[in-house]
Amino acid sequence: MGLIDHRFSDNFITTNLDQVLNWARQSSLWPMGFGLACCAIEMIATSTSRYDIARFGAEVFRASPRQADLMIVAGTVTKKMAPVLRRLYDQMPEPKWVISMGSCSNAGGPFPTYSVLQGVDKIVPVDVYVSGCPPRPEALLYGLMRLQDKIRKENTVLRRERVIMAGQTEPIMVEDRG
Amino acid sequence: MLARLLRRIFLIDLLKGLFVTLRYTPRPAFTFQYPAERRPVAPRFRGVLRLQVEPETGAQTCIVCDQCAKACPDELINLGGHREPGRKIKVLDYFDFNLSRCSFCGLCSEVCPTKPVKALIMSEDYELGTYNRNSQVLRVDEMYDGLPIQQYNR
Repeated sequence: MGLIDHRFSDNFITTNLDQVLNWARQSSLWPMGFGLACCAIEMIATSTSRYDIARFGAEVFRASPRQADLMIVAGTVTKKMAPVLRRLYDQMPEPKWVISMGSCSNAGGPFPTYSVLQGVDKIVPVDVYVSGCPPRPEALLYGLMRLQDKIRKENTVLRRERVIMAGQTEPIMVEDRG
Repeated sequence: MLARLLRRIFLIDLLKGLFVTLRYTPRPAFTFQYPAERRPVAPRFRGVLRLQVEPETGAQTCIVCDQCAKACPDELINLGGHREPGRKIKVLDYFDFNLSRCSFCGLCSEVCPTKPVKALIMSEDYELGTYNRNSQVLRVDEMYDGLPIQQYNR
């Protein structure tokens, strides 16, 4: 925050807009439960009072994609379900994330067959892959915290790009002039 | 009729419901605070695969017999090694384990023949969240140390 930090009296808080937006987004992720198989049971268990996903602000499992901003794909995605999943993902409003939960939606799991989609990342961009068959509720909470970490690093107002300059090996952040 | 009216006036049903709430109120919270406390897993819990070394010497225990790769129903394990003169067992060169399809059935660690220390075990780690599919293929050093677990303390 640089120049204006600690310049005012104590009842002012200075921040930048990206941090406020990311804080608001990461602490109220409303998931759309996309329970397709046995992983859905663990996802439901995560929202019960024992594990209590509400501690992370993600307890409102929405039935409508228009009100959700996180899609938890839990279970085997068949090729019959894949167009429906993509359509529901398209219907979600814009800042949106996807958690792929379990081996089946990560890579097809133990079903390398004609009817099963070999990984949900073939049709939607996945942010966090949670491995397990099915993952424990703690593993899903861990995946959610990994996603919150990722959201905290996003840029909305000040857009930056990771660019590898010629002759360099490490990427640097360059402000987008577009 | 009169009884029903009296129940309505004195809010008997509401008080019954509130009494249930009141009975549960002094109990300690049922919620288990995950990132702060980690519940112990069941004794036969099957987490992610892990290679073990000899506990005293730190020497390799895997004898590169390839039985785990043969036992895996999804063919997720690839391993290889070479012989060195003067050493009894093969030296493990690579051990690639594709976590993404794994269904944690435990057949691979069941067939592992090394004694007394089992080379391939199902560990107690279940915190597996990765950002891409490439990092779900565990190499040999990750098979010894496990995937790095981010520590959260909120």
